[in-house]
Amino acid sequence: MNTNSPGIDPNLLRDRVNLKDLVNAERHEVSRRVYADPELYEWEQDRLFRRTWLFLAHESELPKPGDYVSRDLAGEPVVLIRGDDLKIRGFLNSCRHRGMRLCRADHGHVSIVRCQYHGWTYSKTGALLSVFAKDLYEADRLRKEELRLIPITQLDSYRGMIFGTWNADAPSLADYLGNMRFYLDLYLGRTDGGTEVIGTPQVWDVAANWKFATDNFTGDNFHLYSTHGSIIELGLLPPDPMSLSYGHLVHPQDGHVLHVVPGPPDPLFEYFGLPKELVPQLERNLSPVQFELIRRYGFSVGTVFPNLSFLQVMVQGDFEAPPTPFLNFRQWQPTGPTSTRVWSWLLVDKEASPEYRKATYEAYVRTFGPSGVFEQDDLENWEECTRVNKGKIAQQYTLHHQMNVHVPVDPEFPGPGKAWKGSYGESTQIAFYAEWQRWLMQPKPWVRT
Amino acid sequence: MSSPAEALPVPVRVGTNEYSEIVEWLYREARMLDNGEFAAWLELMTNDIVYEMPTRTSVMPKEGSGFHPEFGFFAESHSSMTLRVKRLGTSQAWAEQPRSRTRHFVSNVLVDRVGEHVYKVTSAFMVTRIRSHRHYDFFTGERVDVLRRESTNLKLARRTILLDQTVLEAHNLSIFL
Repeated sequence: MNTNSPGIDPNLLRDRVNLKDLVNAERHEVSRRVYADPELYEWEQDRLFRRTWLFLAHESELPKPGDYVSRDLAGEPVVLIRGDDLKIRGFLNSCRHRGMRLCRADHGHVSIVRCQYHGWTYSKTGALLSVFAKDLYEADRLRKEELRLIPITQLDSYRGMIFGTWNADAPSLADYLGNMRFYLDLYLGRTDGGTEVIGTPQVWDVAANWKFATDNFTGDNFHLYSTHGSIIELGLLPPDPMSLSYGHLVHPQDGHVLHVVPGPPDPLFEYFGLPKELVPQLERNLSPVQFELIRRYGFSVGTVFPNLSFLQVMVQGDFEAPPTPFLNFRQWQPTGPTSTRVWSWLLVDKEASPEYRKATYEAYVRTFGPSGVFEQDDLENWEECTRVNKGKIAQQYTLHHQMNVHVPVDPEFPGPGKAWKGSYGESTQIAFYAEWQRWLMQPKPWVRT
Repeated sequence: MSSPAEALPVPVRVGTNEYSEIVEWLYREARMLDNGEFAAWLELMTNDIVYEMPTRTSVMPKEGSGFHPEFGFFAESHSSMTLRVKRLGTSQAWAEQPRSRTRHFVSNVLVDRVGEHVYKVTSAFMVTRIRSHRHYDFFTGERVDVLRRESTNLKLARRTILLDQTVLEAHNLSIFL
């Protein structure tokens, strides 16, 4: 996986700077270079994105046999198709003949997959069914069993979320997520039917490095009172600038990170603000420890390493609506050293009422996503950070990640992993960057010693 | 104007006073947006305004137009539009401070009378936005508007923005289309 020649330290950049010096977890320093460097971008693609598990789609996006969605797995177009056996399979979206892109819409429905170039056809399970003018091939030249669609090397799902990897050696998805599954259950596994996507994702392009988005979604609560000062001025957030500091930062394991924060002392803010008629379902689907956690909290934001983030928060999308929860998943798909395609899915518990679905959609779209009155300003920040940190002078100075990093791990926190009391802090961000660095430096970062 | 026996919708012909009034309304609205006169712009809306912009995907013809009305980039009421406009008036609406420089171009305007004092107006739009170091953000598409006359003034009762892009080529939508 190294891009350097044999004998040369694979962790030395062209200018002899060593990867180990770009993130100093002990000193809580991160080099600005990690956000704006073409060579590091290639190394990220090679060493991280082509080797790790990445999110692809939610199962509800392709409910019926023959449904497909076109997605991207580490820069390569892939297609996920649901078979007649209801199983979802994933393939490189490419004909074995000339490499033509096969499924060319963003999503759709097929009975077989037919290449429009020369007419080769494939089954929903990837088998080559027919080729044009098959009689013109000499015997043995057309070995159909060798010409199946190229499968995504490993494909699996957790609680409806489909992930894939090109790495045959990667551990199972369950092992990769590890302790993070305990927390993902709080969003995805709390109701009888699980969640489903409303509509299709918002997709938009941002001139920012993807890590500024994950950095923000690792648990940065303390940007609220400056970045989102407009919302404070409008009176739609508590005036106490420490209001989101009374929770925990959590590092379940291996760069998967989140925070959990209680709302004001009001039953409205318990159970993430979910409709109270769902509470019996939460109780029977979650473990007692999970149920106690979900009862306590109103807000939770985090990231499944490396680039799937989530947002379970309560907001007011207008002056009349009460604080209303929504569950949003994000993928920050790098498209270059300083560009990112953002995918944003709104999820809802299948059991929720039509009224709740409408309310949660309005709460989301008015506050988050590119048009949201919160996120408009985040996106402005991430582009400006990226733009400035491209500078060679700027890159001579590291960035500062030292808020509340001196507090010890809280042994009282009931969930798995490390947790720190106080949800303003930068321990989770450093955990994310340390894991990023590990993936870029280690020959087999998925092997834990 | 309309007689009880009249079958609706009735095309409002180009060149009529009725048509000109609506086109002028659209031009004045565009000027307000480009001048940043958002409070005045809000006055153009009915209290039951629906301002929406669905997501769009690239699909095969048999799947239809690719718009997804159940999800989008805007799903606004008068109250939420008021919030958006008031936010722009705060001292910390960073996405528009400094302000974007926009130009709203509106053309291909066709009008149908769909009720007494109610018009369905379709138009093509092109909106450019320039801000800070970014060069053009470019938005094109169709607006499907419902204009309703309240006392003497035409007001916007519904706007559906049908964007041509499936991937929004802008870091944010801190402007109005």
